[in-house]
Amino acid sequence: MSADKLRDCFSRTLGIPLERVTDDLAYNSLKEWDSVAHMALVVDLETEFDVMFDTDDILGMSTVGKAREILARLGVRFDAA
Amino acid sequence: MLLEGRVALVTGASRGIGAAVARAFAREGATLVLCARSDAVDGVAAELTTPERPARAMRGDVTDVTFSRDLVASVRKEHGRLDVLVNNAGILRQGLIGMTSPETMRELLSVNVFALMVLTQYATRAMERSPSPSVVNLTSIAGTQGAEGLAAYSASKAAIVGYTLASAKELAPKGIRVNAIAPGLIDTDMVRDVTAAWKERRVPHIRMGRVGTPEDVAGVAVFLASDLARYVTGQVIGVDGGMTP
Repeated sequence: MSADKLRDCFSRTLGIPLERVTDDLAYNSLKEWDSVAHMALVVDLETEFDVMFDTDDILGMSTVGKAREILARLGVRFDAA
Repeated sequence: MLLEGRVALVTGASRGIGAAVARAFAREGATLVLCARSDAVDGVAAELTTPERPARAMRGDVTDVTFSRDLVASVRKEHGRLDVLVNNAGILRQGLIGMTSPETMRELLSVNVFALMVLTQYATRAMERSPSPSVVNLTSIAGTQGAEGLAAYSASKAAIVGYTLASAKELAPKGIRVNAIAPGLIDTDMVRDVTAAWKERRVPHIRMGRVGTPEDVAGVAVFLASDLARYVTGQVIGVDGGMTP
């Protein structure tokens, strides 16, 4: 369920179809994911998963997959694929 | 009441301007989270707690990034959002340019600038769901005008001005207002630590003829935090009795 929530966050915040949200989708690889959208994503993810990112996490969240890794480190449980 | 329903975080709230801001915010109906290194902040929170609005104290050092992160996380967990941040925590160190140690310079920049920037990073993310978010930074007349014998302190407070102006521009599209207050000579414990000779030289330059009180500053903080200032951002407001040269 958390995996779906993660993809929903990216889709909603970036304004892109859910099917475009894959683990290798990368920051700055599409015009919708610029620095302003990146900060909006951080706020959305923090609210959705009730976590607080460190600045290093924000700078290191370079792909959807990285976001999943960071959230897992912060205690969010993702179901096995 | 001007701040009814607002959740406000005030740093350096154990005494002086921070405690006066906390009291003024409580009178205007704010729900308070107060932070300071000293356990005196517990007493301020207890004084301001009512059955309807408990004020919470969190003891810690805002130069500790983990503390600042956890502070904002706890506010968000308890209240769902943050409406007002008052970055008041600060230190004053006096010294001629050639007699200020690198350690003192680092300490001033760490407390007055670094900690403020880090807390602002976390806090403004928790403000994005606020209907009326506001950041109030405490700088100083030393930061806007400079003060001899306080060069390193003046530099740290000038940095707050720059950060305030830049933050106001960057956060305005999100509706987050960022302003600063530049107090002049205010009767606080922190200023009492400065030498009497230094103060005596300055008092004649206060055109209103008196040293300010923490309450003089707190009133402006209430204004900036409230909807009275809903179209005010990127401003540095002097509270100095006409001391500005």
